[in-house]
Amino acid sequence: MFTFDQWKKSFDVWEDATAKYLEQWLRSPLVLAPSGSMLTAMMKWKAATDKAKTLWWSEMGLPTKRDQERTLHLLNQLQSRILDLEEKLEQSRADAAQSKTTGPRA
Amino acid sequence: MDAKEGKRWTNLARLFMREKKPVVGATPADVVHSENKWRLLRYRGSPTARTPVVLVPSLINRHYVLDLMPGKSFAEHMVREGFDVYCIDWGTPSDEDRYLTFDEIVDGYLGRALRVASRTAGTTNAHVLGYCMGGLMTAIHAATHPERFASLTAVAAPMRFTDDGLLSRWSRTETFDVRAMTTAYGNVPWQLMQGAFQLLRPTLQVAKAVGLVHRAWDDEFLDGFLALETWGNDAVAFPGEAYRRYIEELYRGDHLLDDTFTLSGKPARLGAITCPTLAITFEHDNIVPWASAKVLVDRVGSTDTEWLHLQGGHVGAMVSRAASKSLWPKIAQFWRERDEVARAPARRRSRSHA
Repeated sequence: MFTFDQWKKSFDVWEDATAKYLEQWLRSPLVLAPSGSMLTAMMKWKAATDKAKTLWWSEMGLPTKRDQERTLHLLNQLQSRILDLEEKLEQSRADAAQSKTTGPRA
Repeated sequence: MDAKEGKRWTNLARLFMREKKPVVGATPADVVHSENKWRLLRYRGSPTARTPVVLVPSLINRHYVLDLMPGKSFAEHMVREGFDVYCIDWGTPSDEDRYLTFDEIVDGYLGRALRVASRTAGTTNAHVLGYCMGGLMTAIHAATHPERFASLTAVAAPMRFTDDGLLSRWSRTETFDVRAMTTAYGNVPWQLMQGAFQLLRPTLQVAKAVGLVHRAWDDEFLDGFLALETWGNDAVAFPGEAYRRYIEELYRGDHLLDDTFTLSGKPARLGAITCPTLAITFEHDNIVPWASAKVLVDRVGSTDTEWLHLQGGHVGAMVSRAASKSLWPKIAQFWRERDEVARAPARRRSRSHA
């Protein structure tokens, strides 16, 4: 009886050969260059339409999505700075406690 | 039809009626630090080893690949081995994280994670394991802050980007404008990156489906398959500004290997890494070709290096049942030996197991 396991063996041979062929084809500059151009054109189109929408929105004096993103990022950076300072403070306290127990060095 | 064939089709029929999602990332852990979207987890256990272990996963995949499911979890295994295990969960970037720089992540966040772990464990340094892009980030951090590392373990971590792989070729395609992408999208959508990874093996989806039918009679395989699929489809976006630098300076410029890469203005030279270093590479890794990961041990300044080259692919070789029996014990042994070395005088050694 022709079982699934037997069919799988022939599938593996086909899959390996097909994958190798497609990998070779995808690596070709003839495929990569036009794909890059197409993707870049799509991205530029999206960026241009977003910019147009943003201009219209900001004309009304309203904060844009970018404004909000920049502010939130600054808040995140501020949180990191506070944590840096907390770490330094903690280190100074630990150093002070250490020098209390060991006494000042000559 | 034999019993195995019967079970295969019954299991497959049941698969589509399953309501419960596979349990992933289930090893009990506490959050010891959180900042922006990332958290540092500390797995609960009774550590006997002196130096803590910090796991650094890739920025664009969920951390629970290192804690996949009970019995197949790298973190759980290391906790059982007596290590004090920490893991970074990078979280999901929001729109404002488009401005997050490579320096903020690799110097700021990673540095904080190492300091918090060492402080919590009462040591001055940690054994650090970076997986995939996490390995690249830890190597760059180790090159600028070697004092924070008791040892560096890089698993399938890309270091050289001028290989002939599809990802390298695509990134270096002149018509692909990285800045246009980050301007348009901010963060790079995970679907775009997922698409690129799938092109690395164009027949992957069909091969996976056939593989599933082939081994559907095996309940353990099915659980693992579903857990891995859950993880694979749970990727996150790449913060835009960090992505731009990653592509322009690492993929296109290969600046890490020509010693011109900098982190927060400081030179990041692999030669400055002086801690014991273990590079793990996989023969059939089509995401990170093994030669581009192996170069780490050739370039570090450490006198204590090991290279472990194993069969298997990028993910399977790290999270499979086989890995729990061969690879994971070797990593544990590497750390345990270096815990002893930390107390004894350093000696020169260099080994490779290919």
